[in-house]
Amino acid sequence: MDARKTDEVVEERAEDAGKPLGLWADTWRRLQRNRVALVGLGIILVFLCVGTVELVFYQAHWHVRSSADTRAVGNRAPGYLAPYDPNEVNYALTPIGVGSPPSWSHPFGTDYLGRDVLSRTLVATRIALLVGIIAVAIALTLGLILGPVSGYYGGAIDSVVMRIADIFFAFPYILFVLLIMSVLGAGFQNVFIAIGVLGWATFARISRGQVLSVKSMEYVEAARAQGAGDVRIIFRHVLPNSMAPVYVAVAMGIGGAIATEAALSYLGIGVQPPNASWGLMIAESVGYLAAGNWWWLLFPSLALVATVFGFISFGNGLRDATDPKLKE
Amino acid sequence: MTSYIIRRLFQLVIVLLGVTLITFTMLKLVPGDPARALAGKNATPQRIEYVRHERGLDRPFYVQYYKYLVALAHGDMGESLYTGRDVSEMVREAAPVTIQLAVAAVLIELLGIPLGVYSALRQYSFWDTTLTTGALILWGIPVFVLGYFAMYIFGLKLNWLPIGGVGDSVLWIIPSSWESFTYLILPALTLGLLGVAYISYMQRAAMLEVIRSDYIRTARAKGLSERKVIWGHGFKNAVIPVMTIAGIDLGALIGGAIITETVFNRPGIGLMIYHAIGARDVAVIAAGVLFATFFFVFANLLVDLGYAWVDPRVRLGD
Repeated sequence: MDARKTDEVVEERAEDAGKPLGLWADTWRRLQRNRVALVGLGIILVFLCVGTVELVFYQAHWHVRSSADTRAVGNRAPGYLAPYDPNEVNYALTPIGVGSPPSWSHPFGTDYLGRDVLSRTLVATRIALLVGIIAVAIALTLGLILGPVSGYYGGAIDSVVMRIADIFFAFPYILFVLLIMSVLGAGFQNVFIAIGVLGWATFARISRGQVLSVKSMEYVEAARAQGAGDVRIIFRHVLPNSMAPVYVAVAMGIGGAIATEAALSYLGIGVQPPNASWGLMIAESVGYLAAGNWWWLLFPSLALVATVFGFISFGNGLRDATDPKLKE
Repeated sequence: MTSYIIRRLFQLVIVLLGVTLITFTMLKLVPGDPARALAGKNATPQRIEYVRHERGLDRPFYVQYYKYLVALAHGDMGESLYTGRDVSEMVREAAPVTIQLAVAAVLIELLGIPLGVYSALRQYSFWDTTLTTGALILWGIPVFVLGYFAMYIFGLKLNWLPIGGVGDSVLWIIPSSWESFTYLILPALTLGLLGVAYISYMQRAAMLEVIRSDYIRTARAKGLSERKVIWGHGFKNAVIPVMTIAGIDLGALIGGAIITETVFNRPGIGLMIYHAIGARDVAVIAAGVLFATFFFVFANLLVDLGYAWVDPRVRLGD
């Protein structure tokens, strides 16, 4: 073997060692091997696309549709995702008041008011998306202030915040949400508030633990030696280096928030009719199950289950991919 | 151990005080004037003020909270603002129905332990992938969705099992006959299956971590049989954290039981809360939530004490 080749090999190795994969490149590499997590990621992307389109175009679209040009295009609306007006009542499509089964023009069938189940399922994505994002954003903001502060300062602040978190964890979650909702009253905005405000404890606990494990590291000491203040140290040095478990909790939290909204709407205390929400559609369908209306239960359920599965499996994959203990 | 128990009981008192403080605050936050509601429709202002004074509703918040605690300690949860019924009595009637369902679901949930161990021992095999994916899918299914599908298929289409109601029981929660047992099957399976998914997933992870550890390698190196290594050394250590997780998951299970009852029309705490939601009867909702929370908190205490008893690191640490 000539000297040049050996040198090359040594150089390559040095290059490998000198440029380790960044945290996210490494995470992505490991995530790619987890097929279930990738399926989850795919579902999340579809969900985000559908939800965003519905969110942005819903109002404008149906406003135009309900004006004069409706007749011009017939019942088929051009362009957007939902083929029919989700709230359009059409008694011709529900001859005996129990809806009609899936057909070519209504692939998911119609409900007891003759409304198109496919359109309603698609439009409901909007509410799921809003709940997932807004509720988790509220919980995350509260948690990421209280958790790191209590972990960093310790002492009395820490004890008080963590005892309050213990009390929040003592309630079975869905019941706590129910209790809050029963005081706030049913409705869309209150769902965000209830789920968001009750979710802080999870994020606070996780970020506190992370801060505790990072705060005595040398680079934090170095920052302090350079004269950085507490706020700067917490949010600039400590937090960014301890976020991986928080991201996992966010993914799981969005799935959980969507499931909770569905449960609340199913119980009649969340999104109110005639708005379309998966949980509410399920609640509306079950009274007609004995009449054999499986389609009306099945399709919103599938959308709900697939979305929640997407977030949970992706969150799980992310946890495995960022867990240093599982590194080979 | 004694000092651990004392510490844990002290914690329990704080948590229970906090929980009751929150439910009491919720009761106070309900819009509307309770004195007016209690005094009746055509009450004069004097009458309303009299009721307010008589019920202590004009006293400071902390006095009212204290009286609420004293009443709770005597098993008095007030009365329904809507039907006027004694709430404690409603809870007493409904509780066994819910506890029966929760206990049955926990028993089913424990099946997740052998499934998880099996998965871990054959990591990446066909069955492992199937079980893990199945667990993740089940984990994401809301309990009412699974419940209605089970009801549609086994109750309405196949007509094998009753679609709702509850059978007679003896000794509080044990079904008295096969027929009353059949009422329990669908709800318990619905609720239990979701738990099986979660527990088997956690058990798999715990087992995988344990069988990669050094002491397992040592056990193998000193020539122990594979069975002794896995069950005598591995499983014993992998099952303990899962018991704690199962204890925490009990909160989700109780919440699930509450919702399952609305699906299968079981007259337990859940159905009681559901009917109260319609009437916005917060006194009843709060009582149901409080009952479920106390149940959850005490069950967790038992799990933690059991954990500390089995694993000395817990009681000697922190």
